[in-house]
Amino acid sequence: MALTREEIVRLAELSRLALSEEEMKRMEQTIDPILAYVGRLSHIDTSGVPETDSPVLMQLRQDIVAGSSEEERAAILANFPDKVGTVLRVPGVFEKPKG
Amino acid sequence: MAHLFEQTIRSAADGLASKAFSSMELTKAYLAQIRGLDLGIHAYLDVYDGTAMDQAHASDERRALGKSFGVLDGIPLAIKDNILIQDHRATGGSQILANYRAPYDATVITHLRAAGSVFLGKTNMDEFAMGSSTERSAFGPTKNPRDLERVPGGSSGGSAAAVAADMAIAALGSDTGGSIRQPAAFCGIVGFKPSYGSISRSGLMAMASSLDQIGPMTKTVEDAAVLFEAMRGVDPLDQTTVDFGTVEYATRTDLKGLRVGVPRQAWGEGMTLAVREHTEAALETMKQAGAELVEIDLPYADEALAVYYVLMPCEVSTNLSRFDGIRYGQREARLTLLDTYLDSRAEHLGEEARRRIILGTYALSKGYYDAYYRQARKVQTLIRRAYAAAFEDVDVIVTPTTPSTAFKLGEKLSDPLAMYLEDVYTVGVNVAGLPAISVPCGAHEGLPVGLHFIGKMGGDGALLSTARVFEHIAS
Repeated sequence: MALTREEIVRLAELSRLALSEEEMKRMEQTIDPILAYVGRLSHIDTSGVPETDSPVLMQLRQDIVAGSSEEERAAILANFPDKVGTVLRVPGVFEKPKG
Repeated sequence: MAHLFEQTIRSAADGLASKAFSSMELTKAYLAQIRGLDLGIHAYLDVYDGTAMDQAHASDERRALGKSFGVLDGIPLAIKDNILIQDHRATGGSQILANYRAPYDATVITHLRAAGSVFLGKTNMDEFAMGSSTERSAFGPTKNPRDLERVPGGSSGGSAAAVAADMAIAALGSDTGGSIRQPAAFCGIVGFKPSYGSISRSGLMAMASSLDQIGPMTKTVEDAAVLFEAMRGVDPLDQTTVDFGTVEYATRTDLKGLRVGVPRQAWGEGMTLAVREHTEAALETMKQAGAELVEIDLPYADEALAVYYVLMPCEVSTNLSRFDGIRYGQREARLTLLDTYLDSRAEHLGEEARRRIILGTYALSKGYYDAYYRQARKVQTLIRRAYAAAFEDVDVIVTPTTPSTAFKLGEKLSDPLAMYLEDVYTVGVNVAGLPAISVPCGAHEGLPVGLHFIGKMGGDGALLSTARVFEHIAS
C-alpha cells in the first residue's frame, strides 16, 4: 500500500513535524518499500489469536506524590528552554493555529 | 600481566584486590586510551575526566579501609548516552537534547554507583537508538575500531567500539531490536540482551517501551553476568520489571547433552559466506564438545521483522511526542504553540526519527489500526508461542547474530529498509521478550563474526552459563 502526498502532509501535521518539499519527497520514497515489506503480515491467518496471551506481570504501585530533591528540582528548572523566575514560559496556546 | 587498559572486569577486580594497581591508575590508563584513540573512532560523546578520577579516588579510599563494595568497585565503565547520569549531559544522540542535563540517575546507574563503579563517560549512538550503524547520531558517526572505514553497528555502536578499542573495561547498551547484539558482533565483543523485565528501564530514554531492555557489552561472558547481576531486579519506578528470583550462573561446565535448536528459517539463505563459514564451524565445535544439534522449525520467524517494524514505530511515535521544545530540549520559539512544535521538532529531530514517527502515526490512525497494529500484535502472539513450543524440545536456540560482517560507512544510509534487514536474526527475541547473547566466533578478513544464543524467558542464568562454556571451548 502506498501513501499519497496528501496522507503524508496530514500525518506530518498530526505528528507536529514541519517537512520541506524535499523531505516530503524522501519520506514518500522511503516509506513505500517499508509498508510493502510489513504488508506481508496481512497474509497471516490470525483468526482466534489474541493480541497477547502472556499473563499480566505488571506491578502497579500506589499513586503517591513522592516529591523530588532540591537538586532534581534545580536541574529540571535549568532544562527549561524559557522561563520567568522559576516558571516555565510557553508560547500563546490560544493564538489562532495555522490551517 | 596485561596492560592496565587491557583488562576484563574479573582481571581488574583481581588486580585491585591484590593491590597490583589502584582504581586511579586503572581509570587514568583508560582515560589516556580515550585521549589517544577516540579522535579517530568517536565512541564517546562526553568523557568525564574529572568525576571519573573522583570516583576512582573514593574507590581506592574505601579499599584502603577494607570497605570495598565488591567486584565492580573501582571498575571504569562506559554508558550509552540514552541512560541518565545525574548532572551530566544526556543527548540520546539527538540534536534536540544537545544541551539537556539529566536531573536524576537511571536505576541501573543507582545500582552501579552502589557497587562502586567508575563512569568514564557517555557513548555515541543512533538518535534515540534508531539505527544499526551509529551513523544516525546527530553528533557524527562512530568508526569500527577493527576497520575505520566500517561502521561499528548500532545503535549501541559507541559502547561496542569503546570496549573493543580498550577505551572502557565494559559498557552498557540498550537493545530494542538488536542494538546491543549487532554492534557487539561487528566489533568482536560480547553483547547480552536480558529477558524483558529483568532490568529496570527507569532513566532509559524510551524508544519502544514494550521491547527496550538495557544490557551489558563486555569482553567476556563472565563480565556480562557480573554486570547483569548488579543491575537486575524489580524496581518500583518501572512497572514492567519482573521478579525472576535467584539466577544461577554456573549451571554447566560442559556442553554434553545440551540440546541446541538450529532453526531452519535462520540457517537458509540470507547470510554471507563469511558468516556462514564461521557460524557453522562454531556449531561443529559445539557438536564435538557433546552438544546435540536439533534442526527445528520456528514458524513466523520471517515475520518477526515485519511485526517489529509495525509495533516499534507505533511506540516511537508516542514516546517521541515528549520532544516538543516545551519543558526541555531545543525550542524554536514561534508566535504560536503549533508553530513552535512544528519547527522545534522539524529542526532538531533527525530524518530517521521523523520517518518512524510518521510511520507509527500512520499505523495507529483510524482505518489502519486493525490492519497494522492489531494484526502485528496477533502475529507477535504467534511468534511467542512458536518460541515456547521450540523450547519444549531444546535448551538453547542458535543463529548467526548478523547476516554479514561490518559494512562500510554510508553503504546503507540511503536505504532504510536495507538497514532494517540488519535486525533479521536479532529482532524475534525482542518481539518475544527472550534473553539472547552474541559471542564472538572468529573473524573474516579481520572482521568479527558473532554467534547468537537465545534462551528461555527468565532463563538468563542458563543462557549465560552455556555461552560461557562455548566461549571457553571456542577460544
